This record gives sequence, structure tokens and C-alpha cells, in this order.
Amino acid sequence: MAPKKDAKKPEPPKKAEPAPAPAPAPAPEAPPKPAAVDLSGVKVDFSQDQMEDYREAFGLFDRVGDSKVAYNQVADIMRALGQNPTNKEVSKILGNPTADEMANKRVDFEGFLPMLQFVVNSPNKATYEDYVEGLRVFDKEGNGTVMGAELRIVLSTLGEKMNEAEIDALMQGQEDENGCVNYEAFVKHIMSV
Amino acid sequence: MGCGVTKTSEFNRRFDKDGNAIPAMKAAVLIQRWYRQSVARMEMRRRYTWNIFQSMEYADLQDQIKLYNFLGYLMDNFTPSSSERKLISHIFRENEVCRDAEWERYFNYTNIDVPDIYSGPRLTFPLDMDQAADLVEAFKNKQQLHSRYVLQLLLETWKLLRMLPNINRVSTCHSKEITICGDLHGQLEDLLLIFYKNGMPSMEKPYVFNGDYVDRGKDSIEVLLILFAFLLVYPGDVYLNRGNHEDHIINLRYGFTKEVLSKYKLHGKRILKLLQKIFSWLPLVTVIDQRVLIVHGGISDTTDLSLIARVDRHRYVSALRPPKKKTPSRTNVYADSERYDEMIICKNRRGSLTFPKQFSAREGFQRRSLQDFSSTVARTLEEEFEVRRRQAEYSLSSYSKSHRILSSTLSSDSEPDSSEFDTSNDEWKQILDLLWSDPMSHDGCIPNEVRGGGCYWGPSVTEDFLNRHNLQLIIRSHECKQDGYEFCHNRKVLTLFSASNYYEVGSNRGAFIRLGPDLVPYFVQYQATRTTRGLSFPQSVKRTEHTALKVLREQLFVHKSDLLSAFQAIDKENTGLICLTDWASAIERVLHLDLPWQVLHPQLVSSTTDGKLDYHRWFRDLALKKPSSEHIEQSMLETLYRHRSTLETIFRIVDTDNSGFITFEDFRQTLKLLSAYLKMEISDEVINELVINTDTNNDGNIDIDEFMEAFRLVDKSRLERGKSLLKLMQDNQSLPQETETPQTVDSSPPQTSQCPALQISDPPALNTADSPSSQTANPPASQTASPSGSNTEDCSASQTEDLCHISVVVPPQ
Repeated sequence: MAPKKDAKKPEPPKKAEPAPAPAPAPAPEAPPKPAAVDLSGVKVDFSQDQMEDYREAFGLFDRVGDSKVAYNQVADIMRALGQNPTNKEVSKILGNPTADEMANKRVDFEGFLPMLQFVVNSPNKATYEDYVEGLRVFDKEGNGTVMGAELRIVLSTLGEKMNEAEIDALMQGQEDENGCVNYEAFVKHIMSV
Repeated sequence: MGCGVTKTSEFNRRFDKDGNAIPAMKAAVLIQRWYRQSVARMEMRRRYTWNIFQSMEYADLQDQIKLYNFLGYLMDNFTPSSSERKLISHIFRENEVCRDAEWERYFNYTNIDVPDIYSGPRLTFPLDMDQAADLVEAFKNKQQLHSRYVLQLLLETWKLLRMLPNINRVSTCHSKEITICGDLHGQLEDLLLIFYKNGMPSMEKPYVFNGDYVDRGKDSIEVLLILFAFLLVYPGDVYLNRGNHEDHIINLRYGFTKEVLSKYKLHGKRILKLLQKIFSWLPLVTVIDQRVLIVHGGISDTTDLSLIARVDRHRYVSALRPPKKKTPSRTNVYADSERYDEMIICKNRRGSLTFPKQFSAREGFQRRSLQDFSSTVARTLEEEFEVRRRQAEYSLSSYSKSHRILSSTLSSDSEPDSSEFDTSNDEWKQILDLLWSDPMSHDGCIPNEVRGGGCYWGPSVTEDFLNRHNLQLIIRSHECKQDGYEFCHNRKVLTLFSASNYYEVGSNRGAFIRLGPDLVPYFVQYQATRTTRGLSFPQSVKRTEHTALKVLREQLFVHKSDLLSAFQAIDKENTGLICLTDWASAIERVLHLDLPWQVLHPQLVSSTTDGKLDYHRWFRDLALKKPSSEHIEQSMLETLYRHRSTLETIFRIVDTDNSGFITFEDFRQTLKLLSAYLKMEISDEVINELVINTDTNNDGNIDIDEFMEAFRLVDKSRLERGKSLLKLMQDNQSLPQETETPQTVDSSPPQTSQCPALQISDPPALNTADSPSSQTANPPASQTASPSGSNTEDCSASQTEDLCHISVVVPPQ
């Protein structure tokens, strides 16, 4: 097994509960930062209804009452609104903030909108088929199931790593008695949440 | 060099051996992204569900306050006819029994016999530890304590409480750790869980309980008896603070009165009366090591502990009844300070809780009888409320100033010695602030209009208060928190809530804390449920959300008439369509719940075309009912249903002897009162029909519970089918009893067979009888980090049938 290296960026653990500040990952090695996104050129083009919708959702995540949300909540709000950016993408949009900035810097609704628009405009959408295809990678025997254990290892070591608690929550009730997961059912199940 | 690239190629290398061309990395990222999205959506749903429950809870509280303001307004401005006088003045009159000896006779328990078949605890006084433990065990086994012992225990408690100061002072010397618990709200399971996990109170294990022991939960009296028993056994190690629900008027609405009357049919009234006194004698505040303040609600910018130490706390029986004036000649005559309360005759003065009265208008009123209330009064009522609303916008300085106006105008009106009244008004405000206030994140101190009492206080007020009194931390309760506790104001204020699953199974955890000599809180969180299998976090969110939405849809449905008018006002061309934004703002204008309607709309609206909603169809979907000729009756039904809590509260007020029955005449008057309050016509015919149909045994009395039962059974489907209320009453007679009667030891004469002993759920449904108790919620495996990010330990309790997952949070250093 290849030795694990530190993640390029600290990944904010996802909220299964309303903890405000996620624990930052250990300090990354100093990689070159990718170019930050320039938001000033983004034209916000949402309808009135959509704006109200987004404003309300934004308000739901504001726990302090100052009509702003912390940087580390931005990704979640976007996801709650139906977008699906990776953490890396969100980080770029936020200007590659440090862990401290992620926890403490705040953005208001007006500042959030161009960020959201940028994500909406970006072409990186995944469908149900993409997810199933993604999982099929791990289907060694080509029989529609993947080994739960393998899935766990992959999810915790590759990409934007998930921690054990997240993986447990994800996999709960999905493995059969042989430790196998039927991945089409898996995808359908979670997408229905 | 990015490690991602390395990894992919490494992984690629591994997979290439198997001949697989797709990078596993991409797959992993996809899954992770999509998982995180589902978690984020779950979080959003959890948050708005929480908002729904909270706003409905507070809206309900406001109703209560409005009702009292209204009744007091009537009281002061109208000369009731003799029948009306009886009705209204009961609310504001004190008891007739006044002397100590008479009280003792009234509360005498010695002539109550305990039958041999009674198998519950038989208490002997003074109580000892074993008896207290037996009591806990008995309640755990669903037994009920016989009313004789209840009265005896309460009497002893009363005697003890009268000797306690307003401010409990506790010390953590001898390396004692003090356990502190927040709101329990009649949830016996939570108390049992705390005792199981932490041990019962003892000399080595002191406890502080921070109020709100009763209401909402179904075992309020049991919780209270346990706490009092331990207080009697360990008076130096158990400390009880008063909460805003330790108040007999609040109990009328929120379930405690009902619970006691149904469990103790024969002696319930006496028990309630005794409790009324006991509540007023509960200490107000506890201070630990002169450094930590424990109070139920909070503080305001005028809170002064030295003043609080001096008040006669028992004079403030209820938050909704400000102090009465004392006639000076009598002040010194009676040793027992309670007597002069009772000796005051009718000149009861009322100040409303949040809105000071408008006195200039008062002189202009003609004396009217309640009979000719109708439109003239309704108009003036509007004006009155408008004035009060405007006054409520004042800052605190004019808030207290208007209190001065209140007291000075009153005193000029009748007896002298107004300065004394001023003092008691100040004291009353101090106590209200202690029991009703909430912290807020903005600076300043403003009246708490959401609750109708106390204030909202900001971080600088906390700083100032702590400095002035040389304290370091305020621990309070009063607000439900998702994780059982929450810090605010720069960790100087801690909210602690001990009733888990408060809104719904899985809605929140409860918590208690231990405080050692270092005064650093050590938290324990829990969720009390009977578990066989746990629900996953998404499942529990879904379940709670489902209940919240159901309640919300119900609210929308019963406000149909108002909503329809609002929509039609916008849809001037009468197209039947309305855009979502307008829909959302109209709903907010009608319901005032401050909820994210746009976010909620997919749950509430089945379809829209081009962003527009067909509202007639929407109403039909909500109700599945076709418009019918019974329109008038439908809206009356709707109104009564919507205001059933208020209706019930009025009933219970009217039922002054707490018998559970009211006469025809009172019933009639009650409905008229309600119609005046709502500014809506309930015709005499309808009232007569209702009266005839509700008196089932034809003895001229109406059983309150039975009448309200009709409402409990009026669920959406019945409203949908457009059944008239009358038909429902008739149907009700033939319905089977649905309640579980506890092992009743009260040997009371059998009531009419149709009188069910039940808990009627007020909206929003908390602890509804029909919520299945088999499902539970497991807190997520990843425990909540305490706010400063310190480590959390996860320890599972040894499984008893009654326990669920318990986690321990290691406090930050």
C-alpha cells in the first residue's frame, strides 16, 4: 500500500451535527496554490424566486445572527441548494483561505451569490449514471456488488478523504452479511435522502 | 508536485494490473462529493425543522400572554353583569381561605384513608434515603403515589421551603462535585437516566435543579415528588430553583393542571392549591462558590442580586399576576405575610406583562357590560393593542419608565402608599427577568416580546453583571438546545437543557453538568428513549421533519380563510395563481412564524407551473375538501380548532374549583368571551347547539375533557370531510376510551363513564399520545465537538432497556 501523504488542503469534515468549527486537518505540505478564482467578473443571474430561496437557506446557516456565514459553511450551503462542488473548488472560489480563515472569516449574502453563480455555471455536473460508473470501478467480479471494506479504504485514503464517522454513516445498513454492497441500490438509496 | 497526481498514478498502476482504465480517484471523489451533498441537505432540513418547532412553541406562548392581557383588559374596563363578574373576576381574585390555621385544615391529609389494596410506597416522615430511592423505583414501575402521601410530602416541602432564602449559596469545598440539571418538563425518563448515569442525590453528590420541572411532559407530578423527596432527605445538598413553569397560571395551559386533576380525581384540587404556594416559595437563584450563578431564565441590565436577596418572593405567585396593593393599615397586623394578599378586596390592579397600560384612554371608556361588546369594542380593542404594540417598541428605559407610569397612576387612583407599590413592581420585574429572559447576540437589553416576559440581554450586559457581582459564569436553562447545552456571550453564559427529545423523538439531546472546585463544567449528554434498534441520523431527521411539517400543514389549513383573503388581495385579476415569492410573504404576514417558506415550499406545495402556484388547488390538496354550503360552519369550526388551546385555558380558568366540569351558563359565557377575544361572531344558536350536545349526562354540567376530546379527534381527515362539530360530538360518545389509566389509587367516586383521563396535545404536538415510542434516535457516531474543539469521548452506557447512547465531553482546559 502506498504511503499516505497529507492532503493538499485541509478538508472541513462534513456536518452530521451542527458543530460550528470543524477540526482542521494537519498542516499541509506547502504545495503551490492554484490560481484563485476572480469573482468580480461573474454576473449573478438568478430569478427573484431563486434569490428568496437562497436567502432563506443562507439565513438558516447563520448561527450568529449577523447575516453572514463562516467560510467553512459556504460549501455546505451550496450543497444544500442542490449544487455539488468539491471542497477544492470551493476553496479556490474563496481564494484559498488558511484553516484559520475558514473558521473565522465570514461572508454576507451579497458576497455569497457570485460564488454560487460560479458553481452553477461550471460544467462539472454528475448524474446517477456517473455515480454508478464510479462505483463500478470497484466491482472486481462484475456482479453488481463491491466489497464494503474496499470502499471504506478508498473513501478514507483517496480524493477528499472522509473520516471514519462519515464513512460509518454512509455505509450504515448497506453491507450484506458477506460485507458486500449492491452499488446501484446504494446510489439510489442515498440519492433519495 | 501535487500529491494527488502521484496518488492517481500510483493507484492507476495498481488498477492497470487488473486491466481497469478508469482512475479510482475520480470515483472516490464523486462518491465523497455526493455524500457531502446529502449531508448538507440533511443539515438544512434539520435546521428548518428546528425553527418550525421553536417558532410554534413561542407563538403558543404569546397566545397565552395575549389571552391574559385581554382578560385583564376586560376586567379593568367593563362593569360585568353579575354572571360575567363571577366569570372574569375569578381569574384575578385570590382564595377565600386566608388564615394559616384554615390553610392547615384545608390541606389536612390525616383523614384520607389509604386502602389496603394500595401497593405503592407508604411514606413515613421524616423521610430517609431508602424511602426516596423506593419512590424513584415505584415511579419507574409506573406506580402512583397515594394522594395522602402526596399531600403530606408537599406539606413538609412547603414548611422547608419557607425557611430557605431567595438565593441558595452552595460551596464546592470538600472537593465535592456539584451536578446541575436544566429543564425537565415532566420527562421522568430523563430524570431516571440522569440518576442512573450520575447517581442519586446524597451528601457526597449535591444537585442543583434549574426549574421547569412540570408541563408538557406526562409525568410532571412524579418528577416533582422525586425532587421534593430528595430535598427533604438532603436539605443541605439539593437545591431547587424556580422556573417560569412553576406558575399555576402557566400550568393551566401547558398540561400540569390537567395531569394532576386526571391522576388525582378526588384530591387534585387541593394538591394544586398547595403546589401554588410551594411554587411561590421556591428559591429564585443559586450561587456556587460566589462565582457561578445558576438561574432559570437569565438576567437583565437592572438585575441586582442584593435586591433579589431581600424580596418577599412568595408574594409573586404568578408571572401573569403582578403584585397587588397592600392596604397599609393591615400590613403589620398579620404575622403570616400571605394573609394580606387574601384580604385585598376587588381593587385588583392589573398591569399587562409586556405592554404597559395606556391610561389616558382609560378615562374615556364608558362602563359597558360584556353583553354589548360587539363591534364598538372590537374597534377600541384594536386601537388598544396598536398602542401597546407601539409602546413595546420602546427601549428599556421607557419600558421601566412606563412601569413607573403604571404604578403612579394606579396609586393616584386609589389608596396611598404608592411607593410601596413601586417597590413591589420593581421586585416583580426583577423576578420576571430572572425567570423569563433569553440571551441574544446583539448588544443591549430589550423587552422579550416573543415570550411576553423578561427581556433579551446582550453580551455587554453579561460582562457588566458579572463584574458588578464578582461572578465568572451564568448557567441558565429555559431554551431547548440541540445538543443539550450551548455557550454564548464569549463562554460566559451557558444554556443547559435536560429534557431530551423535547419536540419529537430524536429532536435533541439533554445534558447535565458536573462542577468541581475548579468550576470548569464537565458535560454529559444523553437521549432517553426506549430502544431496541436505533434510528440513523438521517432517519431521525426525517422523522422529526415529518412531524414538524404535519403540524405546519395543520396550521396552514386552519388559517385558510385568512390566507385566502391575503392571496386574493394580491391576485387582483382573480387568476387563481400566485407566484412563490408572494405566496411566501403572504403566509408570513398571516402566520407570523418567521420561517423560511421558500425553502419549505417543496414540502408544502405539490406542484407549480412557471413558478406560479394555483392556490385554490393548493388548499384543496391541504384539505381534500370540496367547498360546500356549510361554509359558515366550516370557518367557525376552523376557528375553534385553531384556538382550542385558548378555549381550553379559558375553560380551566372558569372551572374555579378545578372539578373538571363547568355549568351551562359558564360554558355559554366562555364561548362569548372567546368570540369577543377573537373578534368573531359565534352565534347564540351555535352555542346553544354545542351546549346541548356536550352535556352528555344531562345534569347541566359540561365535562371539559370530553369537550376537548372532540378537538383531539378532529384531525385533518375529519375536517376534510366537512363534518360538523356537532356530529363529532355525537360520534365522540360512541368512541372507545383511548387512555392508559395509571394504577389509580385515589378512591374517588366513579365519574361519568365518558370522562377520559387523557393528555390532550396542544399544538405543536409534543409527546402526542399517538407517536410510536418504539423508534428512537441514535446520536451520530461522530460526537459533537464541544464548542472549543476539544475531544469528545464516546462511551456507551451499559444497556438497560431504558437507556440509549450517552456521550461524555471532556471539557477544555
